[in-house]
Amino acid sequence: MICCKECIELLCDYFEGTLDPETASSLEDHFKDCPPCVSFLKTYRQTSDLCKKTLTAVEIPEPVQEKLREFVKTRIQNR
Amino acid sequence: MPTQEEKAQDENLVRDMKAGHMEAFNKIFELYQRKIYALSFNMTRNQMDAQDVTQDVLLTIYRKIDTFQGKSAFSSWVYRITLNATYMKLRNKKKEQYVSLDESLPNFNHSGFQNEKVSDWSKSTDSLLFSNETKEVIEKAVDLLPEKEKVVFILRDVEGLSTDNVGDILDLTIPAVKSRLHRARLFLRKKLSHYFDDYQARSAKQ
Repeated sequence: MICCKECIELLCDYFEGTLDPETASSLEDHFKDCPPCVSFLKTYRQTSDLCKKTLTAVEIPEPVQEKLREFVKTRIQNR
Repeated sequence: MPTQEEKAQDENLVRDMKAGHMEAFNKIFELYQRKIYALSFNMTRNQMDAQDVTQDVLLTIYRKIDTFQGKSAFSSWVYRITLNATYMKLRNKKKEQYVSLDESLPNFNHSGFQNEKVSDWSKSTDSLLFSNETKEVIEKAVDLLPEKEKVVFILRDVEGLSTDNVGDILDLTIPAVKSRLHRARLFLRKKLSHYFDDYQARSAKQ
């Protein structure tokens, strides 16, 4: 049986779906018997989701948008 | 990875731009300005820097389009130019901070099993997600990441590019991308765990 340390090392590949079937299945066996690793797995995944939701919300503020349009007009289109 | 349609659209725009059609550049400007700005802003967390970088990148696309040979996707080329311009900004105000990513791991006993209780806060974040406090905690934690891990995390997890594509943009092997990504996620998980545990303790007291 794999230990928690190995289990955590494999998480990235597990989510990528790039583990060989045998390793993936021993990882899943480990999860069945190890609530701390299940919590770790869930919070590891949730970390990515939360950061994505927070940081993809970046929009260009209107004053910057205006400056960019002006820049393109004067420095690029009218050359 | 860009979809086949996006790739085909980019290829057409690049061809038209090389032929001197200004409308093609305008379309590229429209399609890419937010991506350029967001990547640069997430790396620098500074509006003025992100604006400067976006302008530099637009100018470079316009001036250097003839040097783009189409060996990789146009979007990868744009991301690379964006990162180069962003690194120039960061170099000027480099604050060398040492963050130990290895401390992000839980405590293991001598057989490699976890020694401590791991709280599962994954279900209790919904109501907190859009609070300014949570947002600030996430932004600060990402800012603390060393540059090498930060750029991989932002491209892969925030921008949602594939591991292959990130490797292509940064000229890294797939295992190197995954290892940096994993270290970044472990570090951020630890920071968020502290925050959510603390939040739950505060709520319980009230």
